[in-house]
Amino acid sequence: MEKIIELKDVNKTYPGAVPLHVLKGINLDISRGELVAIMGASGSGKSTLLNILGILDNYDTGEYRLDGTLVRDLTENQAAQLRNRKIGFVFQSFNLINYKNALENVALPLFYQGVSRRKRNRLAMEQLERMGLADRAHHLPGELSGGQKQRVAIARALITQPALILADEPTGALDSQTSREVMALMRELNDQGMTIVIVTHDPGVGASTSRIIRISDGIIEGSGQSSTSHGAPQFAAVVNSFSND
Amino acid sequence: MIDLFREISQSLSHNKLRTALTGVAVAWGIFMLIVLLGMAGGIVNAFNSSNMAAGSNYLTVWGGRTEKAYQGYKEGRRIRLYDEDQDKVAEARTPGVVNVSASINLSSTVNISTPSDYVTGSFSGVYPDAIVSDNLKLIHGRFINQSDVVQKRKVLVINKTNAEVLFKDPAKAVGQQVSAGSLGFTIVGVYDAEWRTNFYIPYSTARMLNSDSRSVSQLNVELAGISTEEEGKRVEDDVRASLAQIKQFDPQDKSGVWIWNHLRQYLQAQTGLSILGWVVWIIGLFTMLSGIVGVSNIMFVSVKERTHEIGIRRAIGAKPRAILRQIILESVVITTMFGYIGIVFGILVNQGLAIAFADQDWIKDPSIDIWIAIQVTVVLIIAGALAGLFPALKALKVKPVEALRTE
Repeated sequence: MEKIIELKDVNKTYPGAVPLHVLKGINLDISRGELVAIMGASGSGKSTLLNILGILDNYDTGEYRLDGTLVRDLTENQAAQLRNRKIGFVFQSFNLINYKNALENVALPLFYQGVSRRKRNRLAMEQLERMGLADRAHHLPGELSGGQKQRVAIARALITQPALILADEPTGALDSQTSREVMALMRELNDQGMTIVIVTHDPGVGASTSRIIRISDGIIEGSGQSSTSHGAPQFAAVVNSFSND
Repeated sequence: MIDLFREISQSLSHNKLRTALTGVAVAWGIFMLIVLLGMAGGIVNAFNSSNMAAGSNYLTVWGGRTEKAYQGYKEGRRIRLYDEDQDKVAEARTPGVVNVSASINLSSTVNISTPSDYVTGSFSGVYPDAIVSDNLKLIHGRFINQSDVVQKRKVLVINKTNAEVLFKDPAKAVGQQVSAGSLGFTIVGVYDAEWRTNFYIPYSTARMLNSDSRSVSQLNVELAGISTEEEGKRVEDDVRASLAQIKQFDPQDKSGVWIWNHLRQYLQAQTGLSILGWVVWIIGLFTMLSGIVGVSNIMFVSVKERTHEIGIRRAIGAKPRAILRQIILESVVITTMFGYIGIVFGILVNQGLAIAFADQDWIKDPSIDIWIAIQVTVVLIIAGALAGLFPALKALKVKPVEALRTE
């Protein structure tokens, strides 16, 4: 399988009075079309790993290739461009801009690609329709439920047709029912060929993925198939259930 | 670009209070600058149309008393000016001097009377150029002309107030016969000048009334091509030197003749007004600067408040220069928009002041030139960009991952 993420001996240390060696020689390959969970206890380095994968933070030594591109000594502009075109982010706290409506939030990544307003609104509406949120397009985030906000965030992550979705505790702020629905959506996207990497400490979320990478104290302890993968409801059913939020 | 302005407008309207407070600070600064500049301009306009401006290219020379002994003459000698001194000073061909005329101010007072009323004053015998050197504004009829002087006519130009006393309506004074002692005069003109009440008559007529004495009260030396105080001082010294030679007194003896250099006084006042202009600019710019500092301050707070949002934007692919451009443009939009409001209000207030002070002498037409408005606008845009630049640069120092963690 074609590798979308390749990490070779990646190290990261936070400087300080007592330097903190957070990632210790990480080696990791993720292939196109995988649904992977990175799991670990708090402080294990999983979020740092996600930030490096998302080019939100730098690593010190080693090598990281994203979809064949060496991510090393990038300028801020190059990093921004890579994030914009290759990665879609889904955050625990949704990270929607509160004074923009759902449509504008979803369309925002295309604004930074210089896409015309008409085209980006059309594409954003398509994504919202895909998420079953067309009727919420002109609502502000404050007027949406947690599940709806997360689906807006997923729509925003998908709008640039990225190579990879990075999700940081995507169900962390949701109730159990909505969490299950969001995970069903993730699996559905994965079934359609999207590569998804989820950082979580929730075993239930991990169980919904095809592979779990366990990290502890900055070291990958193991990587293996999830025990219960893909036993989820189909996408259309998920969307229907969301629509009843 | 339209998209970018849409983004900016959305961001600014999201926090209306903050935008409004910032804008008011800028608008107030610009408003004050425009009003101050307008007032200063009004004072300059009033000065330029005042007594000092007109007739400013004249030296008035009076006879004096020497304070220094000179070539066998003792100090304390009285220097008198005579009719022939007009020609002698003119013949000296002093650079800058274009004409010399004399005036005779008769010392005795005279009653100018009609059958029903009279006014009291004194005669000034003048040449036609006195209308300029004395800065008279003729409101009815004409002034003394050369024929009046040549023919020693008994014609009279009187002050508006006196004309009102004698004839109620000054316009009716022209052509009227009046008595001055045992002589009859015809009023040919009415003038308006705040500090003068003289009865102007032809120089030759005054000389006749003065028992044909050669003695004159003053010489009026008209200057041309003098534009600096130094040149004004030089021509004053040259005229004194000419008279010193004519009258045999020490050219350094300033008491020999008294010279009122209208031009130097005018130029000094011009320098004062120019300083006033600069002071107003400085006060105005500092007022405006305080507005700009306010914008910068609020932009710092705004950027700090929006660190998380900036983190989101960067995570989804905003390049640093896109963030920089947005913050700077937000600042420029606030300063320019509210600055423009300040300019408009400033101009309106200046127009209001022009109406309110229409009958005042110390201020005239307080307004600002269009170029100043353009300069102020350019300064505003640059200042707005700078006010936004520093907060924007600070915002970009925060890594996206740190910005995302900020709440």
